[in-house]
Amino acid sequence: MEISIGVALLLAAWAYIGIVTNLAPGWMWHEPIIAGAVTGLIVGDATVGLQVGASLTLMSLGMHTYGGTTIPDFQVGAILGTAFGVVTESVETGLTIGIAAAMLMIQLDVLGRALNTGFIHAADKYVEKGNFKKMTLMHLLGNLPWGVTRFVPVFLALWLGEGAVTAFMEWMPEWFMAGMRTTGAILPALGFALLLGQLPVKKYLPFLAIGFVLFAYLGVPVIGISIAAVAVAFLFMQLKGGTENA
Amino acid sequence: MPNNDRKKMTKEARKAMWRYVWTFQWSWNYERMQALGFAWSIFPILEKVAKTKDDLIAAVQRHLNFFNTHPPVGGAIIGAAAAMEEEGADGDAIDSLKVGLMGPFAGIGDTAQAILTRPIVAVFAASLAMEGSMAAFWIMILFGLFWGIFAKIALFKLGYNQGINIVSQVSGGGLVDRITELATIAGVTIIGGFIPSILGVSTAWEFTQTVEINGELTENVVKVQEVLDQILPYMIPVALVGFAYWLLKGRKWKPLQVLLALVVVAFVGSAIGFF
Repeated sequence: MEISIGVALLLAAWAYIGIVTNLAPGWMWHEPIIAGAVTGLIVGDATVGLQVGASLTLMSLGMHTYGGTTIPDFQVGAILGTAFGVVTESVETGLTIGIAAAMLMIQLDVLGRALNTGFIHAADKYVEKGNFKKMTLMHLLGNLPWGVTRFVPVFLALWLGEGAVTAFMEWMPEWFMAGMRTTGAILPALGFALLLGQLPVKKYLPFLAIGFVLFAYLGVPVIGISIAAVAVAFLFMQLKGGTENA
Repeated sequence: MPNNDRKKMTKEARKAMWRYVWTFQWSWNYERMQALGFAWSIFPILEKVAKTKDDLIAAVQRHLNFFNTHPPVGGAIIGAAAAMEEEGADGDAIDSLKVGLMGPFAGIGDTAQAILTRPIVAVFAASLAMEGSMAAFWIMILFGLFWGIFAKIALFKLGYNQGINIVSQVSGGGLVDRITELATIAGVTIIGGFIPSILGVSTAWEFTQTVEINGELTENVVKVQEVLDQILPYMIPVALVGFAYWLLKGRKWKPLQVLLALVVVAFVGSAIGFF
């Protein structure tokens, strides 16, 4: 199938809505599973969207925009990956494109955040003059740099990218596919390393071991480990003393 | 929470709350981050309490100072500041409340969302999504509504009810530290389980050994993965995370450099048939 200009526009709008509604209210439509599933419904195969979204989700664990840091854009990755995955009828191809897109988008996220500085400077001027209506406008328009830096690349990639993607597909040798597959499989290692890096992990090393043993030796599923983890944490806090607030 | 008698929200406070819920981070920027969102959210209250236009301008400018915190958990700060503005509290006191709480609240929020709840929910949803189940989509939608709507409203109201008392509530019993430590321990335990369960990489390498048994030569295939499993199951995932952690912490590499290093490992590893 082909991506029409109308579908390209629709998906670009979906990228815009996804990022802006994640800024506020913050209901996480940028999550790869949501971004992928909706894209899949639009291009005609929700399953591809769910699968691309699931793989990107696992890669994104631990990557969080702490204090305004930039991480790979898994939302745009999920949208483009799903669309091209459906076009080429290959989840793997979609994933390859999705990962590449997520990384390329990093620069545009930085651009959006930087451009927004213009709005607060303008707001400063308006406030000084007591023009609060314009301050309102500056705040609300702040969503533009965020949204446009997603809208434009998604639209261009979908509208112009199909030929390039097809050519890329024909070129793509098996070693490259295998490399990308493995990349997808080992990328969660970075997420876990990032998570551990943000925590005082040396102090809590025994808990890391407990979680590892639960799965590696006892085969407890994820939800079971989560329940055990919360229980262990409460127990530790109680034994440490001062149960009144725990 | 000892102080539970509900304060009735004024019309302006309600307005401020909805402004915060629906638009808070739209104007996020590198220079002052959430400042404009804060100022615009609290504006209806400032407009009501200001006696002159100059007072109002000064009050808005006060709230245009740098501010950044975890959006839902930080709702308590906005709620508290709203209550204090209504009570006619001193501007400096409100400023120090904001500056004092934004760091600790960002810590709690990031830990609770990105380290604790999001990995659990997202991994569970991803396992359903792999099988093509739309339930994964609805789980993520509900999770987003929880943090984006429910938590934001609840925490704003909590802050509004407590006002300045939120500071003593937070610092008095060491509540922030306790919640953070609790979430951290649970998070570390879960990561310990995720490393082997999600990083399901193993090696395909095998060697053929020729051994002599009772004078006869027999070929014996040794699978490297089986040997590794006898030493420590999931040794490769553990080694990969250890390697990435060492690059980040030991060698002070940036996350993107580590990411490229892992891409190289993946391509080389698959080219030599290791993965």
